[in-house]
Amino acid sequence: MVSLYDIQVFTPRTLEEALELLDKMGGRTKIIAGGTDLIIQMRHGLAPRRDLINIYGLRELRYIREEHGMVRIGALTTFSEIAASEPIQKHVPFLAEAANTIGSIQIMNKATIGGNLVNASPAADSLPPLYVLDASVKIVGRKGERTVSIERFYKGYKKMDIAPDEILAEISFKIPDTDGRGLFFKHGLRLGDAISVVNGAVWMRRREGVIEDVKISLGAVAPTVVRARRSEEILKGAKPDDENLRQAARAVIHDISPIDDVRGSAGYRAEMAVNYVYMALKRLVMGR
Amino acid sequence: MVNKVKVNLKLNGERFSAEIDPRMLLCDFIRDVAGLTGTHIGCMTGNCGACTVLMNGRTVKSCTILAAQANGSDITTIEGLSKGLELNPIQRAFHKRYAVQCGYCTPGMIITAHYLLSLGKTLSRQEIREHISGNLCRCTGYQNIIDAIEELLRDKGLLR
Ligand code: FES
Ligand code: FES
Repeated sequence: MVSLYDIQVFTPRTLEEALELLDKMGGRTKIIAGGTDLIIQMRHGLAPRRDLINIYGLRELRYIREEHGMVRIGALTTFSEIAASEPIQKHVPFLAEAANTIGSIQIMNKATIGGNLVNASPAADSLPPLYVLDASVKIVGRKGERTVSIERFYKGYKKMDIAPDEILAEISFKIPDTDGRGLFFKHGLRLGDAISVVNGAVWMRRREGVIEDVKISLGAVAPTVVRARRSEEILKGAKPDDENLRQAARAVIHDISPIDDVRGSAGYRAEMAVNYVYMALKRLVMGR
Repeated sequence: MVNKVKVNLKLNGERFSAEIDPRMLLCDFIRDVAGLTGTHIGCMTGNCGACTVLMNGRTVKSCTILAAQANGSDITTIEGLSKGLELNPIQRAFHKRYAVQCGYCTPGMIITAHYLLSLGKTLSRQEIREHISGNLCRCTGYQNIIDAIEELLRDKGLLR
């Protein structure tokens, strides 16, 4: 275990102040939000030990807003807040469900969605719902702000489109059509603080007996969360019968590239991904 | 050169402040600076929940937080739930149901139980299990712990 004896922690009072600090020392520091993962990673030598800029107290980044058909979530909103949020439960219950499975209550009470996103674990439970929602992230720096789609934001394993002097400030998405339905699934090895072996989300809209639109995302089976585009193509315009669902589920292997690790082998992950996507599609079709 | 930071917080209802090293974890702050050793440290990895305390009324694992991040907050530890040697109702229920074996997980379990009761939600036995899933009991005495929490919920008419 690594001691954090030589680490310094700076606590800015405003976002502006945080950005100034980053501007001065960006490359040499790391931002800490809830810290539920970062502190442990640093203590185990898994994250470089850098001085910390503690933004956890910045209230201006803690909100859930619904406006002009969009939902906006401040980066420092905790998963407890997201799971309990009325607009989230109403418009995107599958995101509330994902927030609920992030970890134990103690972790949900502290961990923030922005922290989960920049931690960039491909197994992060908040990500698959955001991928099917085609969410965007707002990145701010001293020179201004920009918005990037979530898929573009992740460029590879733990590689993100964010500079050392920028902060991920907000996650936003369009409220999905009310006649569609979404679903989140997670396969972990225990209840509680389990890291997903496979997780994912499916969103589907049917009309007149065919699948009009469908989005499928999978986590923990590639260097980043991925959209199962091949499966989506198979289903769009198709009848939601068992054969089509099975064929689509099997097609996820074209978009994933799982690896072996302590939680499961690549083969096991691939099989679980296929099975879970099939079950999720089936549940949506059966209306359960 | 290491700068010190001043941490001001409310600890079990009373103001407490200290100058500390910025990297100090909240669990160490509570135990070593404030001298409240009722909060236990089991794993230091955010897994076991022995270090659970209330931060602004919500449970958190104090080994995953820097003390500096708790600046300005309201912290309640196991010591803050009872008055001196008088047991509070949760402690009494744990006592009565033999929900304590070695006692290592107990402070964290009781804080979690306190939070769960404070939510005022009606829960089933299965939901109690889910609620305490962030607290591990290495003596594996879960049944009695859940029995104790069930009884507390029943008394409040909150058991499904
Ligand atoms: S000591 Fe904090 S969770 Fe185990
Ligand atoms: S009573 Fe021993 S760890 Fe729970």
